[in-house]
Amino acid sequence: MSGPKSNELTKLLYKFPKPNRWQQGIGAELPEAYKKFWKEWKLDRPKPVHWIDKEGKYERWTDGTIRPIQNVDIPLKYPKELDKGIWGGEAVIQGMMKPKHKKRRYVHYWVPQLKRSVVYSEILNKYMNTIVTDRTLNLIHQHYGFDHYILSTKACDLRSLLALNLKRNMLIALYDKTLYPDDPVKQEEVYEKYKHYTEGYTREEIEWYGYSYEEACKMLMINKKKSMVTVPLKVKFREELIQMLKEEKLELVKDEEPVDSEPKSWLSKLNIFKSNSNKSATE
Amino acid sequence: MWASWKSAFAATPFVAKTLLNATPNLFPQQTRTTIILERVYPIRLHKKGSGERRMEKKDFIYKRVDKDKKKQAPLSIILTQYVEGVGEKGDKVNMKRQKAYTHFLLPGLAVYASPENMKKYYIEQDDQKTNSSLYAPNTVKVLSRCCLIVNLSVDNPWTIEKWHVRANFRKMNVFVTDDAITLPEKPISGPNLDYEGKEFYITLTINKTETVKVRCKIHHDTFIYSKELPLVPEYWKIPGKAIFEEDQEILDSLPRPKWEDTMTVKD
Repeated sequence: MSGPKSNELTKLLYKFPKPNRWQQGIGAELPEAYKKFWKEWKLDRPKPVHWIDKEGKYERWTDGTIRPIQNVDIPLKYPKELDKGIWGGEAVIQGMMKPKHKKRRYVHYWVPQLKRSVVYSEILNKYMNTIVTDRTLNLIHQHYGFDHYILSTKACDLRSLLALNLKRNMLIALYDKTLYPDDPVKQEEVYEKYKHYTEGYTREEIEWYGYSYEEACKMLMINKKKSMVTVPLKVKFREELIQMLKEEKLELVKDEEPVDSEPKSWLSKLNIFKSNSNKSATE
Repeated sequence: MWASWKSAFAATPFVAKTLLNATPNLFPQQTRTTIILERVYPIRLHKKGSGERRMEKKDFIYKRVDKDKKKQAPLSIILTQYVEGVGEKGDKVNMKRQKAYTHFLLPGLAVYASPENMKKYYIEQDDQKTNSSLYAPNTVKVLSRCCLIVNLSVDNPWTIEKWHVRANFRKMNVFVTDDAITLPEKPISGPNLDYEGKEFYITLTINKTETVKVRCKIHHDTFIYSKELPLVPEYWKIPGKAIFEEDQEILDSLPRPKWEDTMTVKD
């Protein structure tokens, strides 16, 4: 065997797959709907924001050789503050700068410029004071509205929990048609505008959309507790006792009818020496 | 702040470069737009079957790509109602992004000019308009607040004519035609020092549609220095009495410049 494929296979032989959170514990019990969202959120490749991908498959280098194009992402950092705002795919970059050839490199963090702005959601009918970047506002303009932007972008591009929570609330409002309960005319108008966004989802998938792992586990535990019905043991034992008493009565009735058979009392069962004496005799 | 200092220095090329103003840019990350980076040393290629290489320290050295800033294109919006100084209902207007967002889209005065909205909200304008022009309401607002001083001679006899008003408007950089001016019905003639500092009003018509009432104040003037009346400082702040008593109500109802509200009335 030779070639790259065989190489991969041989490597696999010596590898023992690491246990992950989906194989045991609460993680294994999480529904398939949540796992689907998780994949969209964490495993899909987001669109490049802080760098520009090269297009095409091959390129010619300056020395004349033709080489493949391999786009390697710049690693991004997602601080916890990201979850409180809508940054439009931007994140913090930890890297280094080197001003000149013979100068020492030094560490540098590139942080996006944040600002406060109001965003308006037509589905939820709410004005929200949020932390955004200029890119977010540009994306909102590009999609002709905040709702269109949130509903049409993938979870890996939205990234923040705030945006994902808003998306879930919007999807639930559209799926159940609970938007604008007082104004049926406006409701129909807005529903017609956005209803095509719910096509890819089932009701369960929408319910599990936009939760972090910890939140999802909490949800699961709460749902479990709700579904569990605890019956006190005394009720169970009482039922058993009643059953036993009923059976005994029946037996008594049966025993009274045939006279010839020997009446057996419970004391005879407790005769310890009976069985032993028999055994010893035979031996 | 640093940026403003830098720009101030850049605007004065004759200033020699000293130690103070020759400082390098201390905050190179200070940009509003998205940061776009590039590796200084291009990353080594990995083999076809295997995954990506483990990164070296060299692979974390970046440089900025987006050095030259581009101006953002204006945002086009459609108005859903008449907005003074901007346009009619159904007008398509191009505007700066931030202004369009905060002042028009968020309050619901306008919608995005998306292809769906163009079908729904866009109206091709006919002759029916609330105003003769976009800026007419603004001129009405300005003219109704102003106090026009009409300078008249002490030596020669006069009755107020249209050209008096026109000439005095010209001092204020307002150019009026004779057709636009309508004087009060009763003639005012002088020289009469009882009229000094007293008020009357005229009506102006803008584009033959809108009308404004403008407050005018009479002031006697002369070329002879000894005959000159003492100059009252900030005369426009002092509310004067009307020449014709029946006009007093109208003159009081006209809006005054904002600073006058705090003034105490002198007798």
